[in-house]
Amino acid sequence: MWGWVFVLPALIYFAVFSFYPIFNAFWLSLHTKNPLSLRPPRFVGLRNYLDLLDSATFWNSWKATGLFTLGTAIPLVVLSLLLATIIVSRLNFRRFFQLAFYAPAVIPSVVAAAVWLLLLDPRGIANQWVNFVLGLSGVDHKWLANPEMVRFSTTVVYLWEKLGFFTIIFIAGLGGIPQSVKEAAHVDGAGGWQLYRYVTLPLLKPTTLLVSVMAMIFCMRTFATQYLFTQAGAPRESINVVTLSIYTTGIRDLQLGLANAMSIVLLVVMLVLSMLQFRLSGRGEG
Amino acid sequence: MLNRFARRLALMLMAAVLVGGSAIAQTEIVYWTHEDPNRTALEEELIARFEADYPQYKVVRVTNPTDQMAQLILTAFSANRGPDIFNMDIPNEYPYIVNGRVAPVNPAAAGYIDEQSIYDAYLPGTLDPVTFEGELYGLPLEVTNWSIYLNMNVFRDAGLDPLTDYPKTWEQLMEVAEKLTIRDGEIITRRGFDFRYPYYLNFLPSMAAQLGGKLIGDDGKSAIVGDEAWLRVLQYFKDWGTTGKNLGSPTYKAARSIFNFDNNDIGMMESGQYQAARILNDNPGFLPGEGWMVIPFPQWEDAVADVAEAYYGHYWMVNAQASKEKQQAAWTLLGYFASHADEFFQRVAVLQPTQELLNSDMFKNAPYSDVFMGDLAKAPVIYYDENSPQVLQVLKDSIEAVMLQGKEPADVLKTMREGVERALRGEY
Repeated sequence: MWGWVFVLPALIYFAVFSFYPIFNAFWLSLHTKNPLSLRPPRFVGLRNYLDLLDSATFWNSWKATGLFTLGTAIPLVVLSLLLATIIVSRLNFRRFFQLAFYAPAVIPSVVAAAVWLLLLDPRGIANQWVNFVLGLSGVDHKWLANPEMVRFSTTVVYLWEKLGFFTIIFIAGLGGIPQSVKEAAHVDGAGGWQLYRYVTLPLLKPTTLLVSVMAMIFCMRTFATQYLFTQAGAPRESINVVTLSIYTTGIRDLQLGLANAMSIVLLVVMLVLSMLQFRLSGRGEG
Repeated sequence: MLNRFARRLALMLMAAVLVGGSAIAQTEIVYWTHEDPNRTALEEELIARFEADYPQYKVVRVTNPTDQMAQLILTAFSANRGPDIFNMDIPNEYPYIVNGRVAPVNPAAAGYIDEQSIYDAYLPGTLDPVTFEGELYGLPLEVTNWSIYLNMNVFRDAGLDPLTDYPKTWEQLMEVAEKLTIRDGEIITRRGFDFRYPYYLNFLPSMAAQLGGKLIGDDGKSAIVGDEAWLRVLQYFKDWGTTGKNLGSPTYKAARSIFNFDNNDIGMMESGQYQAARILNDNPGFLPGEGWMVIPFPQWEDAVADVAEAYYGHYWMVNAQASKEKQQAAWTLLGYFASHADEFFQRVAVLQPTQELLNSDMFKNAPYSDVFMGDLAKAPVIYYDENSPQVLQVLKDSIEAVMLQGKEPADVLKTMREGVERALRGEY
């Protein structure tokens, strides 16, 4: 009884702000609706979904999302684990490093992207710094102009923004590993790398799974950086991720039904991939 | 004693009810507009005067970032919570008219005898974009056409005489821009000229029209008519971009935003007459005729039609879902604003094209009014329809493909045509 009472606020919150929008999105995805029109939505069944299957733009947006997710989520998991390990192993300045790496995570994505736009301007620091490091002069690396470089730039911005967040989760995971297990392994003669490889990493598996699922979902939902970059003149095709495509279809093209169908497809893909990750992780344990 | 106290209390209560009653009777109207510091100061003054003249009305003016206006207003209207008054550029506003979301002008409330007298008060044609099925749906906050602003100091620095060496044709523009451009390797530190990205609907169709091309065919279904004209335009942008002569790019800071400061980083850019007020505000020492001047929109050397950059308008509109009282109040306020077209021009340099203003000495004597009016006379109205945002996106993608990705104009022409025709059919 009291359990339900304590859970009720969270249930109400999720029902209003998550479940209702999802059901409403699914309902709208079966209709055509112009947000400006006062006429009620018109039921079209699965036509929106069939239109998506025929659309080259839709498939291109999945390609952009897939490449971004692969190129960002994997480095995010690896680098945040590496950073967390380094920070935890340090005796001094641990708090400082935690704070320094976490700081970008509290900056709104739009502000972060705006700052990066200045850095990536042809006359900005990015060109100057890379040219200095590589011993070049006057080379424009076209961070925002070349389609491949734009893709790379969005990955760099996202890594910078989210790395600290996942590092903190790994630090919490590392802190949760019982000291007694490590001491026992040490007594059994395990060296530093063996301890890390055969004790720390297996015990960190639940955290790694959590981080990898979250990183994947975060990457598939990325929007602000791509939106601002395209607004600033970057070519759209290579960074036209699904969320950006949903936005333009709903807000610019006034096709709410189609935009909601895309949202539902995105939701289903994220659910399936998350379940697959859990399943594969469980099989590993077995 | 008690009776006297009771009577006093009753009187005080009655007074409170009366005062409260008059406050309740005041009609509040909400007005959303885009940020413009100069115009904000003027409109707030006008609103204060309006509220003094019409104590029954209260105006709440809300400014929003220019680039977010379209989505903010769309979101508000889709939730049936739109402001009573708003303005946007006509390509974004037109769907509101078509979908019945805005109310027709109330001539009496706006201070006119009838609808015809409003048409008579304005330059012919400038109310066409807000005329739908024989009714008028808006009053112009501003009607704008862009000409070319030229930094005379940059010309002199490059050894050119701005008064004689300014470009008249697109071919000359590229030559002059090359002379003015300074680079550090591949990185441009001073652009001779750059286009106003991503407002391609303003200048691309006009550039093609000069060569006989059309954005939309006469049948309303075909698009990008006139292969030769469009291929020339696309080739021009390919030559202009990073894979060509490297004269400019959409990824550099907007030319218009840096021009005012005269920092030797931009030679020429496109803007409307309102830019003059912004230059004065940002850099009072940068003077017309000494530091900057305005030249007409260039033509191709072998142009077959004399066409200038398209003009567009920001029109004040009134929410059709607002109550009748609020609509009445809204048109009264907008009529009041419109009756101060001279102040809007004098202090903000936005043109509300009333015949009275256009014939005034103030307008005629303003710097480069003759250049802007000369271009306006040759300017078509910007393409506006329900699908204009999609059409703009196709043009943007196409120009970026030739400028930034180095794609061949012939290949891009095909995808551009398909994209615009798909937008015309309302397909995703």
